[in-house]
Amino acid sequence: MKILLEKLIVNYPYTIAVFLFAIGALIVITKSNLFKKLIGINIMESAIFLMFISSGNIRGAVEPVLNSAHSDLAYINPLPSALMLTGIVVSVSVTAFALALIIRLYKSYGTVDALKIAEMRNEVTKE
Amino acid sequence: MISAITTNLPIFVIIIPLFIAFILPTFSRRMKLVEGVVISTETLWLLGAGYLASVVLLQNGTPIIYNMGGWAAPWGIELKVDSLGAFFMIVVTCINLPVALFAKGNLTKEVGAKERVTRFYVLLLLLGGAMVGMALTNDLFNVFVLVEVATLSCCGLVSANSNPRASEAAFKYLILATLGSTFVLGGIGFILNITGYLNMGFAHQEMVQVWQNSPHAIWLAMSFVLIGFGVKSALFPVHVWLPDAHSNAPTPASAILSGLAVKGYIICFLKFMYTVFGQNLMQQFNMHKILVLAGMIAIIAGSLFALTQNELKRRLAYSTVAQIGYLFLGLGLMNTKGLTGTLFYLFSHALIKSSLFLAAGTMIAATGKKKISDLAGVGRKMPITMGVFTIGILGLIGIPLFSGFVGKWYLLLGSLESGNILAAIVIIVGSVLCAAYLLPIIRIAYFEPAPEKDLRDPALPQKIALIMLAAGVIILGILPGSILELASRAAAELLMIQ
Repeated sequence: MKILLEKLIVNYPYTIAVFLFAIGALIVITKSNLFKKLIGINIMESAIFLMFISSGNIRGAVEPVLNSAHSDLAYINPLPSALMLTGIVVSVSVTAFALALIIRLYKSYGTVDALKIAEMRNEVTKE
Repeated sequence: MISAITTNLPIFVIIIPLFIAFILPTFSRRMKLVEGVVISTETLWLLGAGYLASVVLLQNGTPIIYNMGGWAAPWGIELKVDSLGAFFMIVVTCINLPVALFAKGNLTKEVGAKERVTRFYVLLLLLGGAMVGMALTNDLFNVFVLVEVATLSCCGLVSANSNPRASEAAFKYLILATLGSTFVLGGIGFILNITGYLNMGFAHQEMVQVWQNSPHAIWLAMSFVLIGFGVKSALFPVHVWLPDAHSNAPTPASAILSGLAVKGYIICFLKFMYTVFGQNLMQQFNMHKILVLAGMIAIIAGSLFALTQNELKRRLAYSTVAQIGYLFLGLGLMNTKGLTGTLFYLFSHALIKSSLFLAAGTMIAATGKKKISDLAGVGRKMPITMGVFTIGILGLIGIPLFSGFVGKWYLLLGSLESGNILAAIVIIVGSVLCAAYLLPIIRIAYFEPAPEKDLRDPALPQKIALIMLAAGVIILGILPGSILELASRAAAELLMIQ
């Protein structure tokens, strides 16, 4: 138990990432407000970004710029950060598209609550 | 000049559709030109894919390796045209061409406004390019980016008309699909942390050596990839987005979504499982049993849901959920026959489901009604449309001489070979249920009194598109020949990786 706790504290970026991922997933599943769902997705993605970036980090290492004067330096792995730059771009475009859809839904239903929208749609179908 | 084209063809088949997609809006006012450019691109694309596939077939399975920008793996991004990639490339291009042809001159009514037509074609080409990229790339992060391109264009296609129901379905799809790709990205993160590589081949070699150090992390990576691609390809308990999205999209879009889009994620999943983790690790973590079980549940549950639907397009959409079950079942059988069956069934289902959706959309547009009971007598008034629909139904049930039979036969042989009698029974029960929910449509359409309304078969391009797809179903059923050869070789190659 003590070892487990110690691991969780030493690797705190991963612990935070797990919590963020769980919180995001919970929001997406339980909240019916469309904006909150979108925010939940964003929190989940941030958790994954955090996991990637902290996996490239080495404590005490320097930024990955070659320094010929000190050839024995340890460098941070730049690959995960570079990948997450792409990941952030993808996440921003998903958010933009989702916001556009929310605007369209608000214009036609007058609400941003998924349950109310489903109710109104079912009434229309019955008629 | 010719050799420059052929050596760079692996990247051209991905880049050119994407490139054409982005220059289409520059002349979006000239509708005829847009349609002509799209159809000729699709034709050239089919030729290019056919050329690459024949080269791979003639080389006896030696893959074509293409290093992007001249940087060799593991530093650069590698494109690998192996039998699997060539096979899926053929599937994508064979479905895309008839769908683009069907859309010709027919879209304005479907998407609501004239200026939306070009956007539809842009999304269609983006989706196709991303699908081919998913089949060819050998880099894990590249898979993620292409999956996202495909997802966003799918959502765009669903919301192509301004119908509020379509927007709602698109939003639901977008949220769940993004949930899925977040899981996939997490899985890729675990693989990168365990092995230190993003190239699939290198990651696999490293994985085989070090997996004992971190079995929990590998278990997590596998489950993240399964959940991610499971949501995206509508595996049963997480299929909830599919019926709404596929039944509310414009007709050509629902054909391409149901026929093709979900298959791309299955191919990605196949590549992750068999080329990154390898079959030994899959057996170690019982992944094959999970896949067979999930597939069986999906077949039965999807078919039962389909039986209860009254709307034509929704019934077809639930039938897709059931057919996805067959594909996952075949992935878990872990033998050559089962995998060959999966790949062949994938092609056959792509042809059948797109022809069914196109024919269904034509009938719905003609009668103006969505219910199955409103189709009375349509078969006699629209002989070609309903004929294609009937061929599709017979193929989906798996009657001999139609393409569905060959795929189901191999799946059956594979499940018997792996000693899984229950899976074999479920495959047959699935066929019976499929007959139960689709054959009544034929009865209603042919043997009930026709309405007074003047119904006619669609215009020439739509007829050609429908007949092309139906001909594909019959040709694959009678002469599976080189397609079956390509599929079985892809299966053998995947199983050679330990």
